[in-house]
Amino acid sequence: MSDNQKRILDLLAEKKISVDEAQRLLSLTGPEKDTGTKGSEESAGAKGKPKYFRVQVQPEAGSGKESVNVRIPMALIHAGMKLTYLIPDHASDEVNEALREKGVNFDVRNLKEEDFEELVAALTDLEVDVKGGKEKVHIYVE
Amino acid sequence: MNCPPLLMRLGIYGQRRFSLWLPLFLLWPLAAAVAIVLTPLVLLAALIFRPLVWGKLALLSGPMFFGVLCALRGLELDLNLGSRLLHISFK
Repeated sequence: MSDNQKRILDLLAEKKISVDEAQRLLSLTGPEKDTGTKGSEESAGAKGKPKYFRVQVQPEAGSGKESVNVRIPMALIHAGMKLTYLIPDHASDEVNEALREKGVNFDVRNLKEEDFEELVAALTDLEVDVKGGKEKVHIYVE
Repeated sequence: MNCPPLLMRLGIYGQRRFSLWLPLFLLWPLAAAVAIVLTPLVLLAALIFRPLVWGKLALLSGPMFFGVLCALRGLELDLNLGSRLLHISFK
């Protein structure tokens, strides 16, 4: 058990945080199997139209790196996609150039809402786990 | 149409626990008043710059940003910064 987990349990014992808060915070600390299982259950339960896009970054225990847990509403992503119409052409060119420098050959002007729909449809059936370096990235929808 | 988030929660959990609920709903009437005042100006600008691309963008930007604002509801961000845990959410 890590120091963070002990501290969270201490806070719970001192009634400084609620059980729900403790549960949420514990899910962020350490590479617990609960997190992945919970995500799988949630995403498996939401076979209809997914409402949220989840990204979890879990560092290896003891690596001292930050862990991230983001829940993005699908509506926000759709609204963000519409904002791409507002990007001026020269800005798109600069973004494309920066992507090309990073080795990504992609034109942001070709980014369409339908493409994202396809990605979401694919993610309802599978989850993406990327383990590289000292971090594990888990992407799924729920 | 969704309504914009009513509350924003900001929590910092470390040696000291800090949690703050920000009543965003108090800002919306003010924002609506500003939008009402600015709408004729934006329409005028759109009319003047109609031949240019910016005219269309000026017209579209308002509803688009409002859409983004409404879609913020449900957004949650948890960051574990080692000694501190940061939580931001929109309700």
